[in-house]
Amino acid sequence: MKQIKQHRLIARFAVENSDNFEVITIFDDEIQREKLDKQNPTLMSISPKYTTATWFERKIKDDFGIKIEGSYDNRPLVHHERFPTLNPLRKDFQDRSLKFDDFTPYKYEVVKGEGVFEVAVGPVHAGIIEPGHFQFSQEGERILHLDIRHFYTYRGIEKSLENTSLLEAREMIERISGNESIAYQLAWFDIVLQASGVEYDEKLKKYHCLLLELERVIDHLTDLGFIPNDAGFGAALSFASQLSEDTRVFLKELCGHRFGFGSVGFEVKEYDKDRILDFLNVLEEKVRWFEDWIVDIPSVWSRFDTTGTLNKQKAKKYGVLGVVARASGKRVDTRDNLFYKKHGFVLQNETVGDVASRFKLRIKEIYNSMRLIKNFIDEPSMVKKPVKFCDGEYMSFVESSIGELFVYVKLKDGVIDRFYARDPSFINWQALYLMMKKDIIADFPLINKSCDLSYAGSDL
Amino acid sequence: MIKFWQRRVENSIVTRHLEFDKDLEDIKKELKSKIAKKFAGSLAIRMVSSGSCNACEAECNALSNPYYDLQRLGIHFVASPRHADVMLLSGVVSVNMYHHVLEVYHQMPQPAYIITLGDCPLLEGVFKENFAIKGADSLKLPISHHIRGCPPEPKEIIRGLLDFLEDFM
Repeated sequence: MKQIKQHRLIARFAVENSDNFEVITIFDDEIQREKLDKQNPTLMSISPKYTTATWFERKIKDDFGIKIEGSYDNRPLVHHERFPTLNPLRKDFQDRSLKFDDFTPYKYEVVKGEGVFEVAVGPVHAGIIEPGHFQFSQEGERILHLDIRHFYTYRGIEKSLENTSLLEAREMIERISGNESIAYQLAWFDIVLQASGVEYDEKLKKYHCLLLELERVIDHLTDLGFIPNDAGFGAALSFASQLSEDTRVFLKELCGHRFGFGSVGFEVKEYDKDRILDFLNVLEEKVRWFEDWIVDIPSVWSRFDTTGTLNKQKAKKYGVLGVVARASGKRVDTRDNLFYKKHGFVLQNETVGDVASRFKLRIKEIYNSMRLIKNFIDEPSMVKKPVKFCDGEYMSFVESSIGELFVYVKLKDGVIDRFYARDPSFINWQALYLMMKKDIIADFPLINKSCDLSYAGSDL
Repeated sequence: MIKFWQRRVENSIVTRHLEFDKDLEDIKKELKSKIAKKFAGSLAIRMVSSGSCNACEAECNALSNPYYDLQRLGIHFVASPRHADVMLLSGVVSVNMYHHVLEVYHQMPQPAYIITLGDCPLLEGVFKENFAIKGADSLKLPISHHIRGCPPEPKEIIRGLLDFLEDFM
């Protein structure tokens, strides 16, 4: 096997061609392609070197039945206890309904020893959140290990999108993850433009980026309430949830939907610029007040500080993304480019990597996003709706509120032949257990919320 | 903390929504009396997400913000199915969640009611039945009420709960 240099792993996924399987591995500076024989396909694992390749490879195994060699973890990922042995992403699989198989227990990764016990949490949780399973190995209150098992919300989106046209695909793509809907739409739109050869109109781009920043503000505001709430400080939730509701209502006023479904299109209509500025000024005053207030609450910070630490070295090794990475001092942001910088983007950083860092980073990013929104305000504009798309492979990167989102589309005969999306959560979930090592089980909800990862996005 | 109370005094009660102020107040009043009559003043809801895009959950979380503040009407989202009167089911009922949803229902004390939330459970929206999606009908459980929308807005959820209370007895 060729020696692979240590770079940041972005995605690893398989595509079925007519005479072989192709495994595409995307790093930050190169793309590697491996062709595998259709009879008895076998793939050499890169997980000893790139830890986060584990989930990618387990997914490839479930989806295509490709054997993985040299991996320390061969458990099924997407297919749960009663999922029959089949590989739904192969082209010859066309069943629309599925018969449950017998129950095969899943082996959790646990620590064994005298006095060590397990705590199983999920998939249905106590709060109003999505399903996922967490298996803790405990020594008293202290967490020894956490094994995360997800993919309960697996909806087979990759397969459903096959053989649909790019324009039709949008409705499903925007519903992959509700809190990142606009980010997914931007990735979709980017691919539409690439495939049709139409140039991105500057004014249109500014409007789309404005919506994306507004989505980020909403998500961060929601977290500013929920993170202190998980530390037992409910007053912050009632204050911040007001602000996020205000912003959501404002998003609806601007684009017609509270989550921005269907808002990224080929046209920007005239909108009230002063209204945006007024709204942002009021909001900024409230956020500044909130910041000023919460920094003086010692009981909150005694829970935040040093809890759930992810150091920079580990953050680099796991290639984590978005807020989690930037809170650990890793400078990674898809928006770090000329277009954004021209409009006032400054990469926000923290250094310690604990819950407090992630909380403070969110506040900083809200200010920067509000500044960006102000600079993105522009005149109405439109591009012609494309009708013809060229076959080929297209990729897009967008910085969602969680982190770098990657979408891959392969067009063949004018329709989608393969769709793949790697949500930032997919990588960050795999690094979550690292943050638990020094903490007690009661800190888990707090740490989990401070990362605010999407279940639906990573499950697809 | 003193800052918080100062601001609280300056701003007085924020529990109102400029747009549909009156409308919402009427619904809430009605809702409160219905719950008092039919559920002895307290309706306990267990939220189960069975493969949604998390927008429905976000809207249910929004129900407890100060604008809607559902708790003061006697509606609580509870942590365990054993405390619940109603299961609020969102999402497509994925293959991987199918048996867990059934288990939640069987843990609930009878009489237990199911309200489906959003277009997903009845497969009315974008997601249709496929190898990973079962849909709520496949559960073969009695569904008492359905709240439409993708996702239904907080006001529509409140309205839906009211309709449920009107219908079911």
